[in-house]
Parts: sequence; C-alpha cells; structure tokens
Amino acid sequence: MSTHDHYHPPGLQHQFEDMKQQEESVSIGMWAFLVQEIMFFGGLFTAYLVFRSRYPMAFAAGSNHLDAFWGGLNTLVLIVSSLTMALTVYYAQKGNRNMQVILIIATMFFGAVFLGVKAIEYSDKFNHGLVPVAGLNHKSKAEEPAAKEEGKTAAGEKHEPNPRGEFQWTGENYEASVKIITEAHEKKYLTKYEEVGYYSNGELDQNKVRDKVRIFYWIYFVMTGLHALHMIVGLGLMTWLLIMAWRGTYSADYYSPVEISGLYWHFVDIVWIFLFPLLYLLGRHFMHGGGH
Amino acid sequence: MTYITNGFTLKSWLLTKDHKRIALMYLIAVSVFFLLGGLYAAAIRLELLTPQSDLLESGSYNKVFTQHGVIMVFFFLIPAIPAVLGNFFLPIMIGAKDLALPRINLLSWYIYMIGGSLTLYALMQGGVDTGWTFYTPYSTTFSNGYVMAVGLGVFINGFSSILTGLNFIVTVHTMRAPGMTWFRLPLFVWANYATALVMILGTPVVAITILLLALERVGHIGIFDPSIGGDPILYQHLFWFYSHPAVYIMILPSMGVISELISNFSRKKIFGYEFIAFSSIAIAVFGFLVWGHHMFVSGQSMYAGMVFSFLTMVVAVPSAIKMFNWTATLYKGSVSYDTPMLYALGFMGLFLIGGLTGLFLGSMGLNVHLTDTYFIVAHFHYVMVGGTVMGYLGGIHYWWSKMTGKLYSEFWGKISAMLVFVGFNLTFFPQFILGYQGMPRRYAAYPEELQVLNIFSSAGASVLGLGLTLPVMYLTHSLIWGKKAPANPWMLPGLEWRIPSPPPTENFESTPVVTWEAYEFGEENGLDLDEARKRDLATV
Ligand SMILES: [Cu+2]
Repeated sequence: MSTHDHYHPPGLQHQFEDMKQQEESVSIGMWAFLVQEIMFFGGLFTAYLVFRSRYPMAFAAGSNHLDAFWGGLNTLVLIVSSLTMALTVYYAQKGNRNMQVILIIATMFFGAVFLGVKAIEYSDKFNHGLVPVAGLNHKSKAEEPAAKEEGKTAAGEKHEPNPRGEFQWTGENYEASVKIITEAHEKKYLTKYEEVGYYSNGELDQNKVRDKVRIFYWIYFVMTGLHALHMIVGLGLMTWLLIMAWRGTYSADYYSPVEISGLYWHFVDIVWIFLFPLLYLLGRHFMHGGGH
Repeated sequence: MTYITNGFTLKSWLLTKDHKRIALMYLIAVSVFFLLGGLYAAAIRLELLTPQSDLLESGSYNKVFTQHGVIMVFFFLIPAIPAVLGNFFLPIMIGAKDLALPRINLLSWYIYMIGGSLTLYALMQGGVDTGWTFYTPYSTTFSNGYVMAVGLGVFINGFSSILTGLNFIVTVHTMRAPGMTWFRLPLFVWANYATALVMILGTPVVAITILLLALERVGHIGIFDPSIGGDPILYQHLFWFYSHPAVYIMILPSMGVISELISNFSRKKIFGYEFIAFSSIAIAVFGFLVWGHHMFVSGQSMYAGMVFSFLTMVVAVPSAIKMFNWTATLYKGSVSYDTPMLYALGFMGLFLIGGLTGLFLGSMGLNVHLTDTYFIVAHFHYVMVGGTVMGYLGGIHYWWSKMTGKLYSEFWGKISAMLVFVGFNLTFFPQFILGYQGMPRRYAAYPEELQVLNIFSSAGASVLGLGLTLPVMYLTHSLIWGKKAPANPWMLPGLEWRIPSPPPTENFESTPVVTWEAYEFGEENGLDLDEARKRDLATV
C-alpha cells in the first residue's frame, strides 16, 4: 500500500484520490441518509394524515391538551440552535477554533433545553394519564384523591382514579371534547368515520371518544419520541465535533464532518418545524373561541 | 499480493474494510440462509405430497411456510446480488479502489448478521406463523409466535439494506474513474444504482411499519385494530409500499447481471444500452406506484384499485424493453453457451412467464379469481427464483474465477444449470394450473383431485434441490482443486477482466483511464475472438 506515488494529505482515506472526492462522497452520503430519514418519518406523517382526516374532532381535543407554550418555546430553541449550528460551519471554514467550540457548546445547550422541555411535557402527560400504553401512566388509587390535587397540575383538572395506569380521557378533558363534537355534530361537520367512531346508539360513547383521542396520543408520542431520539443522536454527534474542534481539527481544507453534522442537525430541526403545527396548533380554534 | 492473501487471521476478515472481503462474508452468510430457506421449502413440498395434513399439522405448516418466506425474502433474495456481487464488482467495474464508504459497508454486514441471528434465535424459540407479510391481526392479536423477535430481526436487517444502497449511490456518483462517464457504466452498475434508490426510499417505510406493528402488539394502542379506531388496511398500504418495490430490489440487480451475460456471451455490444439503463430507473420509479395491486380484495377503494391496475400494466413496459433489447442483442451475436449464459437464457424464459402472469394478476377482475391461490405462488416464484436466483447463480459462475482465482468445472456447471431450469419448471408450472383450479395457498391439506399435480411439483422440487446442491459441491471443490484462473478467462472487455484474478487489495495498480464504451469488443482491446472461440471449444 506504499505504492502510491501521489501526495496524501492527512485525513484523506485510502479509497479516495483527493480531498474533493472525499468531501463530495461524504456530503452525498449524508444527503442520501436524510432522504432515507424523510421516508422513515414519512410513514408516520402518512398515519397522521389518515387518522386526522378521519377523526378531526378527537385530534383537536387531544391537541388542545398539549401546551402550545412549551411547544412554541421548543420551536424557538431549535431555530436558534440551527443558527448556532450554521455559524459553527462558518467558523469551521474559517478555522476559528474558539468560535467553533463556543458555538458547538451553545448548540448542545439548546439541544439539551429542548430535551428538558420535552421531559417536562412527557411527565405532564404521564401524570394526566395520557400515555397511550396501559401501565405507563401514573398509577393513582381512589383513596388518595388529594395527592393528585396539589398545585403542580397547571390546569387543576379533576382526576379519576387510575390504579392500573391506563390511558384516560375523563373529567374536563372529556367535557371539552363532548362540547366540540356535539357542536360539529349539530353543524353536520362530522366525518362518516366520526359518526360511527364517537357514537353508540345515537349517544356519545365515552370509551369510543377516548380510543380516538388515544390515536392522537400514540401519534404524538411516536413522532415526538422518534424526533427526540434523533436529537439525542445529534447531541452525540455534537460531543464528537466538540472534541475534534477543541483539538483544532477543522480548517478551510477540512471541515466536511462539521458540514454534514450540520445537515443532520438542520434536518432534525425541520422535522420539528412540521411536528409543532401538526400536533400543537391544528384544531386549536375549535376550543379557543375562534371556530366559525 | 491478492486480496485473499492479504492477511489470514480471523481479525483480518472480521475487521476488513475491503469490499471484496465483505462481499465474500456476505456470500457465506446468504448461502447459509438460502440453505435454511431451502430446507423449509423441502418440508413444504413433502407435506404437500399427500392431500392430508399428515407430516405437519396446520399450525406447524403455518410456521414452516412463514419462515421459508421470511428467510428467503429478507435474508437471501434482497441482499444476495447487491451485497455479494454488487459489493465485489461495482467498485471494480467503475475503476475504483473500494466503495466510497468502506466502514459503512462493514457496518452493514454486521447489521445483517445481528438481524439474521435474532431471526434465527426466534425461529429456534418457536418461530412465527403470520405469513412473511406479518398481516394484522395475525401478527398483533392472534399470533402465538415470536413476532416481536422476528420483526425486530427484519427491522434491523433493513438498515443493512439501506446502508448498502446509500453506499452504492455515493460510489457511483463520486468514485468513477476518469473517462468512466455515466453512459460508459456497465449495465450491472446502472441496475445496482436503481436498486440502491429503491433501497433507500422503500426500506425506511417498512422499518417504521414494523415499529408500529411492535407498538400495537405490545401496547395495543389502536394503530391497526379497527375495534378501537385503527386501520388494518393502513398496515397493508405501508407494508406493500415497501414490499412491492422490494421485488425490484430482488429483480433489478439480477437484470443487471443478465445484461452483462447476454452482451458478453454474444460477444456483441448490447442493443439499446440507453434504453436498458433508463428502464432500470423507470422500474425503480414506477415500482413505487403499484403497491395496491396486492390489495384488490382487501377493501381498498375500487377506484384506487383501477388506478393501481393500470399502473401495474405500465410498470411492465420497462421490463419488456429489457427483454426486447436482450433478444435483439442475441440476434447475429456470436453466442456461446457457457454456464453463465445458460443461466441467462434460463432467466429470459422464466422471467418472461413470471412477468406475463404478473399481468394476469394485475388485472383487477382476474385477480379476484386468482388471488391467494397457487397461481400467485407460482407467479412470484417465477419472478423471484426464475428471476433473482437464476441471475444470482449466473453471476456467481460468471465472476467465480475473478472472485476466487479458480476455474470451476464447466461440465458440472452446465449439468446443474439445466437441472435447475428443468427442476424449477417442474416444480412451479403445475402450480399455475393448481391455482387456476382453485387450490388456495397456505393450507397443509387439499382436495384429492389435485394430488397428481402436487406430486409433479414435489418431484420437481427435488430435481431443483439437486441442481442447487451441485454448485455448492463443484464450486467448493474448485477452491482447492480447481485450475488457476487467468485474468480474463472469458476474453471480455470489462474493467474487472483487466486486473488479476483474484484482484489485489487496491484493485488497480494505478487508477485506470477509461477510453472505451461498455461492451466494446474489438481488437483494439486486445480481444481476439478466434482465440476466445478456441478456448470455448477446449472447455467443452
Ligand atoms: Cu407487487
């Protein structure tokens, strides 16, 4: 293998002729990977589309329990992290080690904030019996209702006992969904799936409504969960970049790892840019007085 | 020093980044799975010798055909040609030292092994009985098998496919040698490129589908269960969105091999190069628009059915384009009937039948009569075995001398190629008739009137089994006792024939500069036709 008669710059892998070929390969590879990612999330977006078009009122009701403030804050956080990421690439090209390190740390900070907020939201769902898998919710007994009445539940909703940690759609949540479903029913807005999906013998069926809201929640958990998983992978990438940048690896001649990690980071942000309105915002007006 | 002699330790294989060594590791792995899938097939054909369910009771029979399907589709047919032959020859054929991402290549092998081992573990623990399609509610509510483990195995294995596809795409874009323009690429490379597109676009969808299946099975959250608002048809849509294109992951690389064989063994430039190249891309694209033809009777809308039926007819066009161009290449060619060419000609016959019966099934009206019968079974075996396996075996024989540096016995090669062809037809042609007469698939028992044809089929399966066992023996034999192969035993112009057999680790001493078109036979390439003929005569 020492038969090469041409110059090999450091960082050039043996299968490539020159740095340009290597950079192109790595970059096309990342783009192809992101195409793959789009198809991966695409299956879930399809499921969202199918079920939302069938049960729009249940989706609106479920969506309204999500906190648009936290969701909006996270959107902002991610957009800022995209900026710091883009600036990292810029300073890597300039070979400015200090700015790279600062900006990567900033990007990681915002990524961590995002995951922290997500954890707050998930634990809220856990406490309210809104995790769609039975047994994965807070288990509360009938004897100790006072324990759940403490001030940490923001909305101050009443809680039914949930000894087995099942998915619950009760109390004020259920009342609110009854209101919009009835209104839509009167105005003949319900889809044909909803007419059989919410009612039994002409009466609203609480269990049936719950099952449809649960569809919204599994979609919410699977989509945001997979997204969060991608964020965690992204933080791993950033840790590695941080070490490499700290050592002063990147320069005008060699920065493609920063560039492709940036591509990945932006992609994960963009997924959230779609998730936020689809999950948090669509259908809000039904419950907030704007729906005419 | 060849790539084989470059290190003899286990570590030098298991940690290799050499695409050729990884290809051999894949070859061994897929062969094991092929053998295993074949044993399940043998069990099926034995059971169907008699009308009663005697050898296997229905429950075990369900497991046997499911596991036959899962192993053959996900662990043999899908990786076979790309991961073995594509891995080995795609870089060489474009004049590169390796794939663009060698570590990713090794990773894909490990992912394949992990997915495969997990599946094997599940099979030993008790297996699955859902059918290879994992339809709900069999897979969610009613199955008693190890659906989770097998599903996870298939899920993991999907990523090896994605990484292979990704690697091929990058490699074809960036690693071509100087002068190797897109339209000088051998058609095997075009075919693998098109396959790679399907791999990265389709496989993630089945991955997420299996993930949802697992969630539904564990959490019962109402994704596919209609009693709580879910939709079983959604499962089928998502599954076939991948699994119809997956047929093209199996058949496109095989078509690439066939293009090589037909042109090279006719010693004639291939007819309609651009048409064959673009038909691969067309198949990859249109293949994504026809999945609903698997669902004509499952409750999708009739109008959707009509569109899918029409598009299914459309997707047959690029396949037909290939068939016509191959035939035109044979015309006035200097055809020699070496073993690889026998497989190629066999492919043309079998794929023709497989493709045309696909049109029967794509017609919505006729489909209602034929769906879920042995007609379907016969059709997709003509495509998957008659197509993919024939191409795979043809390619293995064609490139064996290059991969191993040894010559196999042409005599036994030809015998086994003919046995495979005869045995295959004897096995599967009767199944068209059985299906047309109404014998449903996936049953261990059948009416007595159908026994004669079933005996034909089982007898054919044993001939086919013999035909497939022979290569294992004479190819292995050649590794030790075979004659040493020259660099270019077939006297062909492709880049892979211009380097030693077996190739050195870096493939080329220096980066080649390509100045010729693909399949350019002529004396300026140092290829003397007469000499080639003499060699042909000498080996008969
Ligand atoms: Cu199909």
